[in-house]
Amino acid sequence: MTEEVKTATEIVFGTQFWIATGIFLIAYAVIVSEKIHKTIIALFGAGLMLVLKILEQHEAFHLEEFGVDWNVIFLLISMMIIINLMRPTGVFEYIAIKSAKWGKGDPFRILVIFAIVTAILSALLDNVTTVLLIVPVTILIADALQVDAMPYLISCAMASNIGGTATLIGDPPNIMIASKAQLDFMDFIYHLSPVIIITMVFYVFAIKLIWGKKLKTKEELKTRIMAMNENEAIKDPVMLKKSLFVLAIVLTGFVFHGMLHFQPATVALFGAGLLLLLSKTHEPHHILAEVEWPTIFFFMGLFIIIGGIVKVGLIKWMSVQVLAITQGNMLATSMVVMWFSAFASAFIDNIPYVATMNPLIVDMAKQLWPNLSGLNLLHHPDLMPLWWSLALGACLGGNGTAIGASANVIVVGMSEKLGKRISFGKFMLYGMPMMIMTVIVSTVYVWLRYYVLKI
Amino acid sequence: MRAKDIMIPIQDSLKAEHTLKEAVNLLRFAKKGEEKVGVKGLPVLDDNKKLIGMLSMRDVLKAVHPSYMNLMNLSNFTWDGMVESLAKSAADKKVGTVMSKDVITVSEDDPLMECVDLMLKNNIKRLPVIDKTGKAAGMIYERDVFFAIVKAMLDDDYYVINS
Repeated sequence: MTEEVKTATEIVFGTQFWIATGIFLIAYAVIVSEKIHKTIIALFGAGLMLVLKILEQHEAFHLEEFGVDWNVIFLLISMMIIINLMRPTGVFEYIAIKSAKWGKGDPFRILVIFAIVTAILSALLDNVTTVLLIVPVTILIADALQVDAMPYLISCAMASNIGGTATLIGDPPNIMIASKAQLDFMDFIYHLSPVIIITMVFYVFAIKLIWGKKLKTKEELKTRIMAMNENEAIKDPVMLKKSLFVLAIVLTGFVFHGMLHFQPATVALFGAGLLLLLSKTHEPHHILAEVEWPTIFFFMGLFIIIGGIVKVGLIKWMSVQVLAITQGNMLATSMVVMWFSAFASAFIDNIPYVATMNPLIVDMAKQLWPNLSGLNLLHHPDLMPLWWSLALGACLGGNGTAIGASANVIVVGMSEKLGKRISFGKFMLYGMPMMIMTVIVSTVYVWLRYYVLKI
Repeated sequence: MRAKDIMIPIQDSLKAEHTLKEAVNLLRFAKKGEEKVGVKGLPVLDDNKKLIGMLSMRDVLKAVHPSYMNLMNLSNFTWDGMVESLAKSAADKKVGTVMSKDVITVSEDDPLMECVDLMLKNNIKRLPVIDKTGKAAGMIYERDVFFAIVKAMLDDDYYVINS
């Protein structure tokens, strides 16, 4: 035990340490400045880590501790392939039009229904995909009803960030946390979904206050919505059946993957392979080309950069500092992690942020419980609330500003193209209070559930 | 035959500051050769007569077609009167924001085959001709290229048959 404690505090501040720290800090600064595309920076930084021998290639490619987290990579790629195959069937257009008709053409009811549908879809698909699928229809509906599209656009981004927090596959930070902490799909359902459902209730009340009175339309315009026939959206019923079949297998697989000792990526990869097979496509080329490779390569580069600073001990040093501040008080640590994560994610990409925080939390745990290892360490009852605080803070923090989450960036980008520009300030005017409200809900939840009721 | 031999000198043109409303009005009545028949596309020039874009009928269609329609299959969910109301709101857009900016051009002395090649490969029906000073000098229309080809095919036979 004494030996392990010793290694935990022994960090060599040598050349390697400073080179790796330098690469990490410069890469982060350039990513934040957005002067160069983040994927390019991540790959270049990763290349430097290898060329300068901070990391051996073997460590970067094959070691879980320092290298690329292939579980995250394959989970993302596989889900993207499944969605790309499902898209042409028209199912997403169908869902969106159907939702608008549930709203009976009433602008506010549609806003609420879209928020809920977006949240549910975001929990099952990734946020960017959901937003790309919902936004075009929401603008069409706003145009049909002759109401301002802005509330629908902003609400779509926010609901997607909230909904994505609910599950393991909903948001990249959760995928990364799940892989690092070896948490399964049902852990997320059990610990995060309840608070997200409560948060959504608050969210609906909030948008009622903000936009409830402003959104009005004429009766005759409502008939435009009611005249739409959602069944016309389905372009390929056969493929739709195949897709839903595979999606059902994948979701069932997620529910039981912990029990069956499968990693989530195994489940998703099997689903992607199966759907590709069933689709009978002879041209997998364009399906694969539509995978968001820049995002995938961003992850890969980032994992290697983080691997470098883990190896030289920077993360360990940071965790020592955090523990010094919180004095090992776990409630305080959880709260600091949640709120710090929220504000950090509001201004920087939550993917590199969580990639850094994950090993930091593991290192903190190693110092708190030096004689534990493996699952006993990662799932230590006192550590669990920290993982959930990180997930809640990092995901919900994305709502804070227009650049806080990829969904926001997409929505703002689209709004600009449509001549309905949402400025940084305008987004923050809605996003920041919403972020603070949702993080307060989470704070109360974490405090009550894990520190008062202890369930 | 070279580009300058087949081009029709530019008579009407647009400026980037024109509104779409003004532009379509001009498109309606613009001269093609000697007649005022309306044209399917006009060059957009700056104050020094340099070509900065083209505005075609297709660009006008694009100006009323909302970009979100490109992202998904929404054609089944449009309504009667949609084009008309979007046309009204597009009327005040500036030509500079609607025009096609990456215009393929030829120089005056380029051979006709170069023009044909560019038209086919880029699927365009109008090709602006740029003179040595960099100014837009004329336009080559698919129709005129067609007649040049017709002439080359029929010329000898034509006189034989008629004589």
